[in-house]
Amino acid sequence: MTKDPQAIVVVVDDDEAVRSSTRLLLKSVGLPALTYSSAQEFLDNHDPQQPGCVVLDVRMPGMSGLELQQLLNLRGAIIPVIFITGHGDIPMAVEAMQHGAFDFLQKPFRDQDLLDRVQRALEKDAVNRVQMREKHRIRERLDSLTPREREILDLMTRGKPNKVMAADLGVSQRTVEIHRARVMEKMGASSLAQLVRMVMDLDQASLATETGAANLAAR
Amino acid sequence: MTRDTPPPEELWALLQRLTHVSRLATMGEMAAGIAHELNQPLTAIASYAQACDWLLARGSTDTAEIRDALQQITAQGLRAGEIIRRLRNLVRTPDTHRVLTDCNELIQELKGLALTDARVHNVRLDLDLAPSLPQVIVNRGEIQQVVLNLLRNAVEALESMPPERRHILLRTGATPEGMVEIGVFDTGPGVDRKIVDRLFAPFVTTKPSGAGLGLAISRSIVEAHRGTLRYRPEGTGGAGFMFCLPHAQGGA
Repeated sequence: MTKDPQAIVVVVDDDEAVRSSTRLLLKSVGLPALTYSSAQEFLDNHDPQQPGCVVLDVRMPGMSGLELQQLLNLRGAIIPVIFITGHGDIPMAVEAMQHGAFDFLQKPFRDQDLLDRVQRALEKDAVNRVQMREKHRIRERLDSLTPREREILDLMTRGKPNKVMAADLGVSQRTVEIHRARVMEKMGASSLAQLVRMVMDLDQASLATETGAANLAAR
Repeated sequence: MTRDTPPPEELWALLQRLTHVSRLATMGEMAAGIAHELNQPLTAIASYAQACDWLLARGSTDTAEIRDALQQITAQGLRAGEIIRRLRNLVRTPDTHRVLTDCNELIQELKGLALTDARVHNVRLDLDLAPSLPQVIVNRGEIQQVVLNLLRNAVEALESMPPERRHILLRTGATPEGMVEIGVFDTGPGVDRKIVDRLFAPFVTTKPSGAGLGLAISRSIVEAHRGTLRYRPEGTGGAGFMFCLPHAQGGA
């Protein structure tokens, strides 16, 4: 298992003074930060594997912060986004939150308000990444099952007893037991309950991504 | 002449008062942009100061970094002051003097404000200023007010357009007759045919919250300078407003 590189706070704002002052503020409390002057520059340079969070100005010439957020959503990005808004931008902030922004903050902001949000966003990102890796592992194990084992797993998670499975598949109960043991072993599950949870987590995750993308595409 | 017609000097004073009121109203409409523009240096100042506080609290010995931040605070304070100075110039009490003026300079003075207003409404504003314009003799504040009125109208007209089709061009040039022409062209829906004929009449408006005085006052100002203000539909479907002013040698 690979260890994530150190988390970085990415600041995207078109105003040079806002960018460098925010970077210094983050640095002064020991948080490494990286700045980009436009949404495009962020897209061109940001590595999705890089853990951290984004502090994003809602109004920028060219691609706005909201447009960047939608693009990131379409790409299935998991990095939490904290929006920075000016006065009177509340409708924009609401829209950002509806599209899954982590939080928002009004300019000018108190250091503690920014730092608290950044801290929580970084924690959220770390949890997201662990969950993503875990799902990835389950997916890999699932893919390693033979078609017959996959069939057995589906019946197991639907709570069918061995006797019924044997009848359904036209094999002996002994054969079912052997497959069953192999499924548990390959999936790394120590109980039927754990196995069911793994499969459910995966289903929900893939379902959520699909609906999210479909919703956005339909807009 | 009837008794109902006020003497010209009274009309003149009325126009000036209306111009000032219109200018204040424009500033009100542009408040979001102004607030946004001021917020940038304020945000930077607050962040630099808080960063210095953290650095000192943690016993940082990097004095160069702290001094740099302090210098930035000064620079951003001055930047905020400059924004306010520009605003004050635009809302100062009416000045009746007409002076020899380069129209490009007038536009440069209000450029920052106009660009911010365009930006907060997601509008692209381009300036195309003719390199050498004949000078005009004008009341600077009044002419700036006309330009701002036209720009505000364009920004509002573009609100109904998708962001990638929100474009304004502000252009200056000299006409073959030697007049100075200033034009504002947008890619909005254009002026409704039903009101085109009454466009410059007072109290005619298509804005939900408009008083319908902007264009009427603008035309009065331009005509008081012996110029003309007219509307031209653009080929793209948008609106074009342009006004001409006689050059100084023309004896205004």
